[in-house]
Amino acid sequence: MSTTVSTTQHTPSPAARQATLSGTGTLLRFMIRRDRIRTTAWVLGIGLMGFYFAHAVQVVAESQEELLSVSGMYADPVGRMMVGPGFGMEEPTHERFYSGGYALFIYILTALFSAFTVVRHTRSEEQTGRAELVRANVVGRHATLTAALILTVAANLVTAGLVFAGAASAEYSLTGSALVASGSLAVGLFFASAAAVSSQLSESSRGASAMAGAMLGLAYVIRMGGDMAEVGGNALSWFSPLAWAQQTAPYVEDRWWPLALPVGFAVVLTALGFWLSTKRDVAASLIPVRLGRSRARPSLGTPAGLAAHTLRGGLRGWGIALLLTALMFGAFAQTMVDAADTLPEEMGQMFAGEDMMLGYLAYMALFMAVFVGAAGVSGLQQLRGEESRGRAEYALSAPVSRLGWLGAHLGVLLAGLLLILAVVGVGMGLGAMASLEEDGGRWFGELFLAAVLQAPAVFAVVGIVTALLGWLPRLAAPVGWVLIGFAGVMASFGSLLELPEAVTELNLYGHLSEYPVEEIAWTPVLVLSGIGIAGLVLGLLGWTRREVNRV
Amino acid sequence: MSENAPVISAVDLVKEFGPVRALDDLNLSIAPGEVHGFLGPNGAGKSTTMRVLLGLLRPDSGTIRLFGRDPWRDAVELHRRLAYVPGDVELWPNLTGGEAIDVFLRLRSRGTGRAFDPTRRDELIERFDLDPRKKTRTYSKGNRQKVALIAALAAEVDLLLLDEPTAGLDPLMEAVFQEVIHEAKAAGRSVLLSSHILSQVEALSDRISIIRSGNIVESGTLSELRHMTRTTIEVQTESPADELASVSFVHAFHTEGSPSTGERSVFEVDGDHVGEVMQRLAGLGVHSIVAHPPTLEQLLMRHYGDDLSARGVSTSTQKKVS
Ligand SMILES: Nc1ncnc2c1ncn2[C@@H]1O[C@H](COP(=O)(O)OP(=O)(O)O)[C@@H](O)[C@H]1O
Ligand SMILES: [Mg+2]
Repeated sequence: MSTTVSTTQHTPSPAARQATLSGTGTLLRFMIRRDRIRTTAWVLGIGLMGFYFAHAVQVVAESQEELLSVSGMYADPVGRMMVGPGFGMEEPTHERFYSGGYALFIYILTALFSAFTVVRHTRSEEQTGRAELVRANVVGRHATLTAALILTVAANLVTAGLVFAGAASAEYSLTGSALVASGSLAVGLFFASAAAVSSQLSESSRGASAMAGAMLGLAYVIRMGGDMAEVGGNALSWFSPLAWAQQTAPYVEDRWWPLALPVGFAVVLTALGFWLSTKRDVAASLIPVRLGRSRARPSLGTPAGLAAHTLRGGLRGWGIALLLTALMFGAFAQTMVDAADTLPEEMGQMFAGEDMMLGYLAYMALFMAVFVGAAGVSGLQQLRGEESRGRAEYALSAPVSRLGWLGAHLGVLLAGLLLILAVVGVGMGLGAMASLEEDGGRWFGELFLAAVLQAPAVFAVVGIVTALLGWLPRLAAPVGWVLIGFAGVMASFGSLLELPEAVTELNLYGHLSEYPVEEIAWTPVLVLSGIGIAGLVLGLLGWTRREVNRV
Repeated sequence: MSENAPVISAVDLVKEFGPVRALDDLNLSIAPGEVHGFLGPNGAGKSTTMRVLLGLLRPDSGTIRLFGRDPWRDAVELHRRLAYVPGDVELWPNLTGGEAIDVFLRLRSRGTGRAFDPTRRDELIERFDLDPRKKTRTYSKGNRQKVALIAALAAEVDLLLLDEPTAGLDPLMEAVFQEVIHEAKAAGRSVLLSSHILSQVEALSDRISIIRSGNIVESGTLSELRHMTRTTIEVQTESPADELASVSFVHAFHTEGSPSTGERSVFEVDGDHVGEVMQRLAGLGVHSIVAHPPTLEQLLMRHYGDDLSARGVSTSTQKKVS
């Protein structure tokens, strides 16, 4: 073995290309083995979801009348903002409703899957040092990234096949169905290649995933702005990979050429990723390492200081991303007013109030609060990571009580989340003030209040997850993400799902009054806060009683 | 608590992780000022013992006392008097090494009313040759271990719990480590030093406990342990010493060399029969003789021997006859 290594490594140019790729097959098999359950679950999950959507729309809206009324919501600005440019919604069919209303969720999941898979097999591997082990064997420099990309592309191909089959089985036009499936493939390729670049730029897998995730968030927000402005989207809709897939207008115009954009970018970004990877050492990053202080500030030597240090980075990232999103949402306010003027009366009823603008604002506050809740779950997940990586154990070997340790972290987290809510309120307010022609100042206050009033829902999420952290730590993060995912789905298209009330009641974000459309109702505020407090107390109790890092 | 009450006392500790019995009736006692070597192979239960001592795990049965108190209940009070170096040091990636050290020193000095003394810290940083301005995520395992060691050794504590503290250190740093442990001992500190590196424990420890599958199989001073084990003898004799091969307390007998250079015999003798062997050798005309005290490898071999023989491997150390 060792002889082949040294010869291949020192052979100059002709064989060099091959050498940088040697071992790709072995690595690929290894990755497939490691990921067999995870990847299969994603692929089948997305495939099943496509199948479900394709068939569910025929059940949700059986008659043409029902179809007209439900697709109406995707034709108006807020609906377009949530799901897409609204091609063909003036003459809805089931297939148009399927692609116009639901394809976006397939694209988003494909994007997440692709980015996470690439990061997981490249940067996380390097971070844990496993890559060095692998590379010490007969593995070329580019083999890891190549194998990770092959795995991701293959999984995307299968996913696209399943999505196509799902739509075709609902007897939708084959061309349109192929376009929806190809859109999912193209988006997957784009985000896989984006992750190939971010993995080179950031030194931690969390950083690399966050960069790719931020890009997806940005893609979503940009297409929101574009699609909301006009049916079919405006110029903004051409700056987002998610929008590119939707611009194919499946079952309406059936155009293929917009897919050239994501595919073209994928090729360029992949090449960039490979090129960047030759510019750095294993486990190093392109963003250079600076020397820091040799002594700690006194504040760091307290449980709260340590907690702030640990959680600060993540909270700052969420804060910045959400502030930008909030500014953008706020800035859409005038578009909303303009659009409302041109809408037929009955469309407005979709929203909680007769005033489109108020409904929009209440909706935005809720939507942003779901993301702040996500920041909370992610922070608690980080605490679990502190435990499983042994840092909690190490910190607790100093004279720090468990109550002090978790209490400090929770205090920092909750303060951070409240601050983010306030920042989101200010962001939406400023955006609205800047864009609105009348009454900007009043809206600033309303938006700020609307955002901050969502605090009890966020608090309840944090409470529930903390309770689990104390007693059933392995369930904490999964349950937290399910709570957030459910709230997100309910916020986006809950009214369409026709779920039984017992199920919708479980949405923690569904109980607060929709300020500023409705008056503030104090009962849900008190109940949610009660859940939050009970969860925190339970969680702290469990944490002081259970063993640390007992896997 | 009287002056000589043990710093650590564990009686019949049991700790199970599902089907795995990590600690199986473990008994351990460490006197004040003692450096205690805690020796055992991977998976023997050393880290689990440390974590029970820190009150991070709760034993299923048995009693454990640190300075006479229960580590699960009185963790915070006890942690003021001890410092810990984990087996696998994980540090906060965005802190520098210097900051990480200070965090621990400051957490310790909190509530004591006195600020920590940076001179000791700086001296140790110098001796361990650590760059305290680099972020800990850029550190190798050895450097992370240095950070934890400096944080522990710069603290004014009575007990050091060191879990395989030198596994990632190079030989030069290992020498520094030995020095500072001698200093800690001179300052009256007690040390529990776990390792599977035998030479290190041998050089530093007053007493040694050997742990295997969660149970202490041997405990005592090095000379007590040696007494229970075998001495290796290399001898050159006038007439062949072959007759010794069949003696019941002689093991692993083999010969080297040729008649022209003189015959050399190498064998092991049970500790309490060395005198008898000497008498027999005297009659054979000894040219030269070297006797080695047992190494810790041999101590361990004796306890792992039955594992090995169960797997069909010869327990004899006689492998090199060519
Ligand atoms: N948290 C845990 N969960 C399950 N098993 C564990 C856990 N910690 C240790 N073990 C098991 O207990 C045994 C002793 O482990 P450990 O104390 O880490 O050994 P050592 O430190 O001597 O190498 C091993 O078999 C190990 O797999
Ligand atoms: Mg260990």
